[in-house]
Amino acid sequence: MTQPIDISGYTRITESIRTEAKRILSDGTVSAVIGYTHVRRKGSTQPILITNPDDSEKLFFSEGCLNNLVVYLTKSKKDVPKTGKIGIVVKGCDLKAVVGLLGESQLKREDIYLIGVPCNGVLGSLINPATELNTKTIAAKCRECTDRMPVGADFVPPVELAAMPQMEATYSDKIAKLEAMTPSERWEFWKEQFSKCIKCYACRQVCAFCYCEQCVCDRNRPQMVEQSPRPSGNFSWHLVRAIHLAGRCVGCAECERVCPMDIPLNLLNRKMAMEMKELFNSEAGFEVREKGPLNSYDEHDDESFIR
Amino acid sequence: MQKQITEANLRLLIDSLLLKGQRVVGPRQSGAMVLYEPLSSASDLVFNEQPRRSAKEAFFPICEDLLEYRKNGQQIDLEDIEPSRFPETVLIGVRPCDAAAMPVLDSVFSWDYKDQFYLERRSRTIIIGLACTSADDACFCTAVGLSPGDSKGSDLMFSHLVNGGFLVESHTDKGALFLESWKDRFTEPDGSKTLPLAQPEATPFDLKKIKGWLDDHFEDPAWDSIATRCVGCGACAFVCPACHCFDIIDEGTEKSGKRRKFWDACGFSKFTNHASGHNPRDLQPKRYRNRIMHKFKYYDDKFGQNLCTGCGRCIRVCPVGIDIAGILEEIEKK
Repeated sequence: MTQPIDISGYTRITESIRTEAKRILSDGTVSAVIGYTHVRRKGSTQPILITNPDDSEKLFFSEGCLNNLVVYLTKSKKDVPKTGKIGIVVKGCDLKAVVGLLGESQLKREDIYLIGVPCNGVLGSLINPATELNTKTIAAKCRECTDRMPVGADFVPPVELAAMPQMEATYSDKIAKLEAMTPSERWEFWKEQFSKCIKCYACRQVCAFCYCEQCVCDRNRPQMVEQSPRPSGNFSWHLVRAIHLAGRCVGCAECERVCPMDIPLNLLNRKMAMEMKELFNSEAGFEVREKGPLNSYDEHDDESFIR
Repeated sequence: MQKQITEANLRLLIDSLLLKGQRVVGPRQSGAMVLYEPLSSASDLVFNEQPRRSAKEAFFPICEDLLEYRKNGQQIDLEDIEPSRFPETVLIGVRPCDAAAMPVLDSVFSWDYKDQFYLERRSRTIIIGLACTSADDACFCTAVGLSPGDSKGSDLMFSHLVNGGFLVESHTDKGALFLESWKDRFTEPDGSKTLPLAQPEATPFDLKKIKGWLDDHFEDPAWDSIATRCVGCGACAFVCPACHCFDIIDEGTEKSGKRRKFWDACGFSKFTNHASGHNPRDLQPKRYRNRIMHKFKYYDDKFGQNLCTGCGRCIRVCPVGIDIAGILEEIEKK
């Protein structure tokens, strides 16, 4: 049965974000703040970068604030000025991306000011943005979220989170189904999914961890991966991405949300995360790690797969 | 010429076409999405949902082979793909915002270079449009000079009748010929009313005024505030009925392979990357500016048309909520 989700706290969070953004811009703590703002369509939102304290009024937080804004802090987004300290609005899932980037030496903690949002979830999609947040419309990642309160942010709006209704964990369900398949059935499943890919690279462009200045899949001298949107090249592309993200992906699920062809990309990433947890007892969290599991060697690493 | 057809007769007609071996493409369920895809039976056709991608791919596919090469010792054998082998196609259930893009694209694909891959498909296809009876808040065809019942680009235009079935209007010789060859399936109009057209909440833009601003504002701070948020994917261009940029690449091995043509997008950072490494559009706002300029200025300068039919797809799929209708509104106010 569909149940509503209490997001009455978002109004106070909005006020709190505005006040804080105004304060840190006015007193020179930061040179810019990246947050969310309204757009023409009711319920829709878009990222905004403000530098003027008076523009703080443009910021807000709602169930439509889906974007993981952390992507704008990476070196691949050259348009966003990286001079001075930057304030950024993050949900718990987004904050884990900051943590990952700190561990990969892509960010310095002293260069960012984290405005953490206590979060009761966001919508799964903005295709029809004027949608009420309930147990049906909520993003799949929010169903099984354990990070509603951001940990280690510089500022968190003093808002108590409302209790959440019980929801089924959709990713674990789907992964269990995939695991129950035979290898050839699984192959067919992913083959069909990847055949839908049109190589728009929205998944890569919104990913905080796809910060390579030259993606291996864009190389043509020599070509490393077939670039044309055909089944073989599509498969290569998605496998390259899954492997590159293993042990790094924080599950913000932006890739899956933005895919205009509805490819369940986060399902693949969640499965990889489960493997990382099982093999290396490693998972994305709020603690900065110097080295990811696939960048380090430990004598106790499981070697049973080598036969 | 006006005719009428019941939904049952339309389905029979489609099945007859399919039985004859005719290729029929129309909106159908494809996984969880609706896409324009070849129908395998008349029951596949869905009327009530705008396909996720536009109908341009019937003429300009996502990816197609241009030629094949094989190396034999010192000799290289080339084999062309023969565009005259493309099948005759009935493209049915086409949204007015998709059909309207076809005459616009004809200008560029038959301009200084005649693109036989596009043109041959075009000449072998009849477009049967279907008037829209519902719109969402991303739809804005009425703002760019079109309407949910516009017949631009359609050979035949279908409109839902109040009591089921469709009113059919022929707009080209191709359309009239089709009605003639299947006259048993159609009847004379009995005066039944058509369903009210969709009413997108968009008021017409002053496109001349917008172009006037674009003419003088290649450099303007507005581009930064509009498009610094653009993450540089190709989603908008790929779902767009009018975007038509493509890349050509040779794929294969030293011994054999294919030359392929596939969709490209001006949002990609490598779109204008020179072999030297220099990129004249080095930042995202410059790339997004090109999207707007191409649609509402350059194409107008060259062909007197706009590259936007207000289908709203780019607004729905943009990962960062960039709203082209909102941007045009903003420019119009300047």
